[in-house]
Amino acid sequence: MSAALKLTDLSKTFPVGKRLFGAPKAGVKAVQPLSLTVEQGETLGIVGESGCGKSTLARMLVGLLPPTTGQIEIDGAPLDNADPATFGQKIQYVFQDPISSLNPRKTIRQIMDAPLRHLHGMDAKARTARIAEIFAAVNLREEFLDRYPHEFSGGQAQRIGIARALAADARILILDEPVSALDVSVQAQVLNLLADLKQKFGLTYIFISHDLAVVEAVSDRVAVLYFGSVVEVGPADQVFAAPRHPYTRLLADSAPVVGRALAAPEAKETELPDPLNPPEGCAFRARCPRATEVCAGAVPSLEVQSDSVSAACFHPLADTD
Amino acid sequence: MTGYIVKRLISAVPVLLGISVIVFLIMAMIPGDPATAILGSYATPENVEKLNRDLGLDKPLVQRYFIWLGNMLQGDFGRSFSLNRAVLDEVLERFNATLLLAGTSFVICSILGVAAGVVSAARQYGLADKAITFAVLLGISIPSFFLGMMMILIFAVNLRWFPVSGMWPIYGARDLSALISHLTLPAIALAVVATGVIARLSRSAMLEVLRQDFIRTARAKGVHERSVIWRHGLRAAMVSIIPVLGIQAGFVLSGAVYIEMVFQWPGVGRMLVDAILKRDILLVQGGVVFVAACYVLFNIAVDVAQSLLDPRIKA
Amino acid sequence: MSFLRLLSRNRLALAGLIVMSVVVLLALLTPILPLPDPDVTNTAERFKKPFSERALLGTDHLGRDLASRLMWGTRLSLAVGFAAAVAAATIGAAIGVIAGFYGGRVDNVIMRGVDMLMGFPYILLALAIVAALGPGLLNALIAVAAVNIPFFARNIRGVTVGIAHKEFVDAARLCGMSNARIIITEVVPNVVPVIVIAMSTTIGWMILETAGLSFLGLGSQPPQADLGSMLGEARSALITNPHTSVVPGAMILVIVMAINLLGDGVRDALDPRLKSGALSRPMPTTMVRRTDPVPQPEGDGILSLRNLQTQFHVKDRIYKAVGGVDLSVRPGECLGIIGESGSGKSVTALSIMGLVASPPGVITGGAVHYKGEDLIGAPYETLRHLRGDRVAYIFQDPLATLHPLYTVGAQLIEAIQSHHRTSTSEARARAIELLKSVRIPNAEARVDNYPHEMSGGMRQRVGIAMALANDPEVIIADEPTTALDVTVQAQILALLDDLRRERGLAIIFITHDFGVVAQLCDRVAVMYAGRIVEEGPTDAILNAPAHPYTARLMACVPELGQGRRQLAAIPGLPPVVDKLPAGCAFADRCPKAASACRSGDIDLGPFGPARKIRCIDPEIPVQEATA
Repeated sequence: MSAALKLTDLSKTFPVGKRLFGAPKAGVKAVQPLSLTVEQGETLGIVGESGCGKSTLARMLVGLLPPTTGQIEIDGAPLDNADPATFGQKIQYVFQDPISSLNPRKTIRQIMDAPLRHLHGMDAKARTARIAEIFAAVNLREEFLDRYPHEFSGGQAQRIGIARALAADARILILDEPVSALDVSVQAQVLNLLADLKQKFGLTYIFISHDLAVVEAVSDRVAVLYFGSVVEVGPADQVFAAPRHPYTRLLADSAPVVGRALAAPEAKETELPDPLNPPEGCAFRARCPRATEVCAGAVPSLEVQSDSVSAACFHPLADTD
Repeated sequence: MTGYIVKRLISAVPVLLGISVIVFLIMAMIPGDPATAILGSYATPENVEKLNRDLGLDKPLVQRYFIWLGNMLQGDFGRSFSLNRAVLDEVLERFNATLLLAGTSFVICSILGVAAGVVSAARQYGLADKAITFAVLLGISIPSFFLGMMMILIFAVNLRWFPVSGMWPIYGARDLSALISHLTLPAIALAVVATGVIARLSRSAMLEVLRQDFIRTARAKGVHERSVIWRHGLRAAMVSIIPVLGIQAGFVLSGAVYIEMVFQWPGVGRMLVDAILKRDILLVQGGVVFVAACYVLFNIAVDVAQSLLDPRIKA
Repeated sequence: MSFLRLLSRNRLALAGLIVMSVVVLLALLTPILPLPDPDVTNTAERFKKPFSERALLGTDHLGRDLASRLMWGTRLSLAVGFAAAVAAATIGAAIGVIAGFYGGRVDNVIMRGVDMLMGFPYILLALAIVAALGPGLLNALIAVAAVNIPFFARNIRGVTVGIAHKEFVDAARLCGMSNARIIITEVVPNVVPVIVIAMSTTIGWMILETAGLSFLGLGSQPPQADLGSMLGEARSALITNPHTSVVPGAMILVIVMAINLLGDGVRDALDPRLKSGALSRPMPTTMVRRTDPVPQPEGDGILSLRNLQTQFHVKDRIYKAVGGVDLSVRPGECLGIIGESGSGKSVTALSIMGLVASPPGVITGGAVHYKGEDLIGAPYETLRHLRGDRVAYIFQDPLATLHPLYTVGAQLIEAIQSHHRTSTSEARARAIELLKSVRIPNAEARVDNYPHEMSGGMRQRVGIAMALANDPEVIIADEPTTALDVTVQAQILALLDDLRRERGLAIIFITHDFGVVAQLCDRVAVMYAGRIVEEGPTDAILNAPAHPYTARLMACVPELGQGRRQLAAIPGLPPVVDKLPAGCAFADRCPKAASACRSGDIDLGPFGPARKIRCIDPEIPVQEATA
């Protein structure tokens, strides 16, 4: 299997305190340099809490945000500083908020036409045929085509968003919290549809979410993001079942599970560090029960622990912990 | 706080410079040269050329701007040919009168407008709301100069409650009561439109705020409804009302031009209109720059008030 | 077209439209009407009174026919005002769209320029322009249009920035559209309504301004006259012959007023928030309109709901958000209400203390008994005394629910002083104590923070502290952890659980998360389409759900630790609560639905000793209800 998507040292720094001319006063590192590989046909889950940089990463992957450093390779070919249109044919995006990702003043047909026309230059007849094909694949009726977005429920709108992404004929889809705006009963419908489509069209997914259980249910591998860095990456069934990084453990213990007694997994009432004033060393050490002096001195790098699980920690957890 | 004020004052410098450039450029667009206007069309070419040289009009545009700016910074706004008087002296004297008129109006319209808006929002669709909404509609639809004329006709000519025009009695003491009786009609006429606009925007700002979640929180806490409206609602609404007050101050100052004409008020607006009709360019230029600069400073005061009210604005 | 229908529904706007149509029609017909020449002077006939022979409205100081001058003047004023509005709107909107769409430096430079122009009181700029171009109607038009461009630019820029950051613009980019195409097809269609609103509400103002310049003698020049210069010329004869002033002045008033009425109507018709009635102010308590007899209190609950019904009346539609809910909570008990969005769980919670926004909310039936006293329809003062004192709320999004302009200390102090006469220093000490009790570190300093200076988790702790301020007996928590990250949620849930055990609080906990219910609640009620479908001890229901909806909903939720898998889904969507089917609301999505399910109301009946269920074909036999 070859890598469908390869990220090398990708990072993003946002300027803070903009001036009319000249350099900004400071920068916030939303994404620290990170490297990841996604295999052909794989689903890579990315989990993290708000402010961990997962949306920034997603927007860089589809070319909506230029990376500060690093490069993106698709099928072995680098995609540096290309415009969204070139990105669009290779990699597409499914948005979190299905309703606001559809222009309220366009019919569904006009929305579906856009990628076919601008990315593939199809004529009207070819477009009609292709739209029919895609709509059949996502279980949408063709009579919806002449309606406007406000006439649809969240679940239907998300299907339309997925249909639009499919229309671009990209092999890789970035799914940025695609079900978090939906109710659970509808969420399951959309997740199952995504699984079907992946099989049918041989797609590769990057599935971003804050919901551990959802990520675990749909992913082959999972990367855990904290404060802009990947702290752990490994097979989905192992990452949460046997976490190596203390943060992954905290996440897994925090998720409310039926049949588990309630107990605050953290003794200290701590939260995320201040991005304008990032801590020295490991960003998690203030919350970490295993932190020692080493953790304050240097930033741990991502290293293979066992069974293809990698974690960025000086004191990783063992199976027995 | 002082830091914020200093920062705002510094940031006003480019705005003031920009204003001076705009005024200068507009005035430089004037067809024909001022010398002809000053000397009349029968002037000899030699005299015109001499005056142009005296006025520095033979120099390039950029140089002329800096000379004009430099003079202005030293308090030399030039000399008005129609009044044969230093522009700054005339402007300062007239501006006092305008400030008195516009300032009084501004205080009236701010208080009345905000109060009417809050009452209207608190009693939405009630009788008070309907009455206020109608009065507001009438207020923003009536031309202030027409309103002024009608007020003269009714309250000065027919009822004889107030003097017809002017700032001081022609004969008699120039005391406070004389000033107030002369000020009442023009100040009210000037305030009407702005009161309407402020009431309207205050009402919608209040309605917007009263739907917010934190109002529901206040009610869930058991805070008394009066306090919900005036303490929670108005405080939050003021954040969007204060900028409106800043803009309305500009409208009051603008409206003063008409009111000064109608009521023969010896203010800067009337001076400007006369100067334009007489093509007294230096007087127009000086008056516009001076009033605009004062308005910029006023807006800084508005921003400072805003930052005092809203802790989310970083000082 | 719905726009015209909406407009015509507004009676004032309709009146404005009719007046304007008449005025515009007359202005258009002026050249062919049998009117005397407006500019012919006849000093012998000067200052004739209105309704005199051969001069319907009298004559002016030069003996010119006022009616004719009025018609021609109206024509001119309308044309100039309209032209100025169109010019200012077009140029201003173009500038605003470009600045707002491109952002960054382009935006910065353009907006600094706009700010500079707005640094002038508008008339100074207009006067400067007229001074430069010379008096004249066209120059007055240019001046009025020019001074209004910055207002449009700023307004439209703000709207454009909002739209340019919408996800559909990103989506268009990914579809390969160029910036120019995105502006034209994605941004402009969404901005047009705002431009139309801005124009319709300012056109009257433009007419006033051009009339003003003419009034000053800087606009139309004699003998040609617009309404403003007619007034200007009449001013000298104001005292002797007021009719020459009143005629043009009244005309301006009528035109501008009609335009303003029409403009407001256009704004209301185009603004989607007004369409849904969302811009009305909620009243201090929810409206109550009960027709059926009020149920009597029963049971030992400190707070019990009996057949509670809350509806939303929007236009001619009635949404039955809560369709008869029975619930009861005992001291020290935590009752969970679980359901999907639109199930009515939050409305149920808000109805208890009359906090449902009204309009459009109306409580149409049932009762809420607090210690045997009915709260529905109780006088405002009774409710106010109980709110926050005996029954307190914790809301979902702590950033929106705390007042942004007061320190958290001030808000806590207010909560205390609303119910207790205490000095501010005492209340402040109590506030610090409360912050400590919700485990906020460094409470002495934090008490003076504003909400925006705190993190989401800290803010929600403040929300909880505020609910505890007066030692209430019941706390109603409406999805208090939904907006929080999972690690913070765990902290907050643990805190709530400790507090309730320490203080013996009764909690009604609204959530959509089975995991949260399982960890925190003693009993749970499952809501669907405004009604409870199943209720009972949490363990029993989660281990053996009896209602098909509960069972299927639980199957939809992936649970951590089960690995990768296919999820069960419920086909279809929940019914819309303004068109509820007869019988079971879940029947259309239920695989077991039979004709009996759809024929009539199904009661919430007992199911085993401790459970209740609204189903005629439960998933499990009743013997297993206690499992």
